[in-house]
Amino acid sequence: MSSSNSGGRSLGQYALLRIAQAIPLIIAIIIINFLLINLAPGDPITALVGEFPVPAEYAEQMRTEFGLDQNIFIRLVKYIGNVFRGNLGFSFNYRIPVLTLVLGRLARTMILMISSIVFATIIGMLFGILAAKYKNTIIDNIAVAFSTIGYSIPVFWSGQILILIFAIWLGWFPSGGLQSIRADYSGFQFYWDRAIHMILPMLALSLRYIALTTRVTRTSLIENLSSDFVLAAKSRGISSKGVLFRHGLRNSLMPIVTIIGYHFTFIVAGSALVETVFGWPGVGRLLYTSISARDYPTLIGILLIVSIVVIIVTLLTDIIYAYIDPRVKYE
Amino acid sequence: MKNNLKTIFIITLVLVFAFSFGVVRAETPQEGGDLVIGIGENPDHLNPGITTSYPVAAVTANVYSGLVWRAEDGSPQPQLAESWDVSEDNTVFTFHLKENITWHDGEAFTSEDVKFSFEEVLPEFHGRFQDVHEFIEDIETPDDNTVVIALTEAYAPFLVSLEVYDAPIMPKHLLEGNLDNISEADITVEPVGTGPFQFVEWERGDRIVLERNENYFDDNAYLDRVLFNIIPDSASRISALETGQIDYLWGFYFPRAEIPRFQDDPNFEMWQGVRIPALWFAFFNLEHPELGDPLVRQALMHATDRDLIIELTQEGLGDYNVGPMGGAFDLTYFEEYDYSNLYPFDLDKARELLDEAGVDELDISVVVDPNRDDLMGAAEIMQDLYSQIGVNLSIDTQERAVMIESVYENRDYDLSLQSFTSGGDPAVGYHRLYITQEFGTPFVGATGYSNEDVDRILAEAATIPFHDERKEKYREAMDILSTDVPLLVLYEEESVDVNDVNLRGLRQGLDVRSRLDKVWWAQ
Repeated sequence: MSSSNSGGRSLGQYALLRIAQAIPLIIAIIIINFLLINLAPGDPITALVGEFPVPAEYAEQMRTEFGLDQNIFIRLVKYIGNVFRGNLGFSFNYRIPVLTLVLGRLARTMILMISSIVFATIIGMLFGILAAKYKNTIIDNIAVAFSTIGYSIPVFWSGQILILIFAIWLGWFPSGGLQSIRADYSGFQFYWDRAIHMILPMLALSLRYIALTTRVTRTSLIENLSSDFVLAAKSRGISSKGVLFRHGLRNSLMPIVTIIGYHFTFIVAGSALVETVFGWPGVGRLLYTSISARDYPTLIGILLIVSIVVIIVTLLTDIIYAYIDPRVKYE
Repeated sequence: MKNNLKTIFIITLVLVFAFSFGVVRAETPQEGGDLVIGIGENPDHLNPGITTSYPVAAVTANVYSGLVWRAEDGSPQPQLAESWDVSEDNTVFTFHLKENITWHDGEAFTSEDVKFSFEEVLPEFHGRFQDVHEFIEDIETPDDNTVVIALTEAYAPFLVSLEVYDAPIMPKHLLEGNLDNISEADITVEPVGTGPFQFVEWERGDRIVLERNENYFDDNAYLDRVLFNIIPDSASRISALETGQIDYLWGFYFPRAEIPRFQDDPNFEMWQGVRIPALWFAFFNLEHPELGDPLVRQALMHATDRDLIIELTQEGLGDYNVGPMGGAFDLTYFEEYDYSNLYPFDLDKARELLDEAGVDELDISVVVDPNRDDLMGAAEIMQDLYSQIGVNLSIDTQERAVMIESVYENRDYDLSLQSFTSGGDPAVGYHRLYITQEFGTPFVGATGYSNEDVDRILAEAATIPFHDERKEKYREAMDILSTDVPLLVLYEEESVDVNDVNLRGLRQGLDVRSRLDKVWWAQ
């Protein structure tokens, strides 16, 4: 973050360097996760064959088919080799390649997540600006109270309340799922159906983000508005609106970008609950079910892919910093 | 008894209302419509020939067929087999298959499929077929529509074990050559059967779609489609039922605490009952120094208020007036071996027995799956009651995959709460609880109990096809088991199902999941 780097790398070089640095990190993630997951108690095979005893040969055959009959270190080396060939293995529990499974689920989670973050950032900033502008008034108090409550309500509870009000009592939205279960829509209807299924989970997930964004916007705006350069701007006769947006808000964007990036690092943890409550087949729910089934390849696949996404998002956040804040340079 | 009276009262009330509103009248089944059934887990695959897992069976039971199906009274009825002849000594069964049956892919179904399933697939890969397989000596297929099965000796539950849950007939033309790599075979994820519904798609983690098989060998199904909606969270499952997203929930996926919410709602029909008995119990580890003593086990029976457990954890549904093999099978139930008579809830008596066994204080733990609220509730009640007789019961929560390892494979536990299905016959599901088991086998008796007499008597009971004679054998077994108490039997479960009130024709088979071809919408 030094400001006196003379040579100055290009953005592309910087990104490449960061990606190169990430590779050993990813390998370390694979090794740690692989060992942890495989050494945890519990056998995936017993869970697969049902609830009556089966011939020992069958269990052995399954073990061979899923490659579990080999030494754990041989499996680890093979796994890393396969990962670099783009093969993350075959899910024990979904019987499709892990890569297809996880990317499909991740796409659904990301749709939910990104729309929640966009929605929450707009609403949260709005609340934050209002609260800062009308500091210590009833508006501010409401916004602060809302953000405190919004941050402390667990999503499985707020989710159920949303379902109760909007799905069961009012009947405006479906209570859960990805799509109308009976329907086979196409074209516009298909997207419309998916969209209305997304609204309640999006709201539930947004609540926390809104709360956090409101708080951060308010605090940093209040801080900026009382700083010297704002005073200077005011004394130069710039309108209060101008001061608020050009001087106050622009300088408050940094922490907002930071928390957007921060939201992404909680992809799995943040979505698991909301996906469970709303029956949304995303990556959080996949992780949860894969743990109880000891679906090793899927588990490691999720952790790996999510780590990569987090690394990319962190990189993007850093790049966006540079655009917003002229003090930041690539190094 | 109290429950029965309540049930009769409710039924009477419902009937009175029904008649007064003219609801009960002859209705003609109508074709069309979709049925959406909520299930709580994504099945691991869709091949019923290689697992006994509940969701796989639930989804595929109407895609595949058995030689027979079981009517509500449990009797075997023709399915793929039109009829069968039985030799006098009950060891040779000649099945005459229905003609012109085709698989969903258009291939002809023949006796070769039956032979292949019974010889190559089920004995290798299907848990519940193991016992049947031990009795099969030879299978002949004199022509495409005849299968002759010779048994080594009579096996009482033979015919009933040929239904789709225990012995689904699999397509030879699609499985042959795939048996060494069955996990990744197409048939494992895209089922091709002979049943009333055929597979359309499986959106993993979301839904499974079946559609009517227009070439079904019996009357075609009424419903256009059957859809399974996968909803893992039980509260969300209930919301989906309330909003009409799903039409039907089986007891396995219906949380009992929700009974009051649906009981009086005119939009729903609630069914309660016992079709396939299932036993809820705790394994005792007989290798434990104190638990190895029958007196201590009897004391714990006395100290367990099983009525209270049913009231608090099962919304009162369940029967604790049961013996070592429950109470629903007439074959295995005897009043004199009823645990409620032998070991009624009595803490003083329990303490006396402990004194007699020379046990002053006892520190034990019970292994419970934390995802099963009802078992957790039972464990907490037991903990509280046992503390009053000087037994400190600690609750050791272990999720399923870990529990299987510690209980069955390592026998590293003191008590472990479980529920087992009878599979429709005591020989199918309950014998495994008491006979001597090889160490380390999952899903059998994990107690380490071994009694030569019990082994012999139960083996004999399995081979007697006549009810009264067979029942006498069970009397001998119950006499021993009710004194030895290798299991802390809690109760026999009572199931509860909820469905949209406009559905007709549900629950025609012994297994409520079967025969969806007979289901239709009244509106």
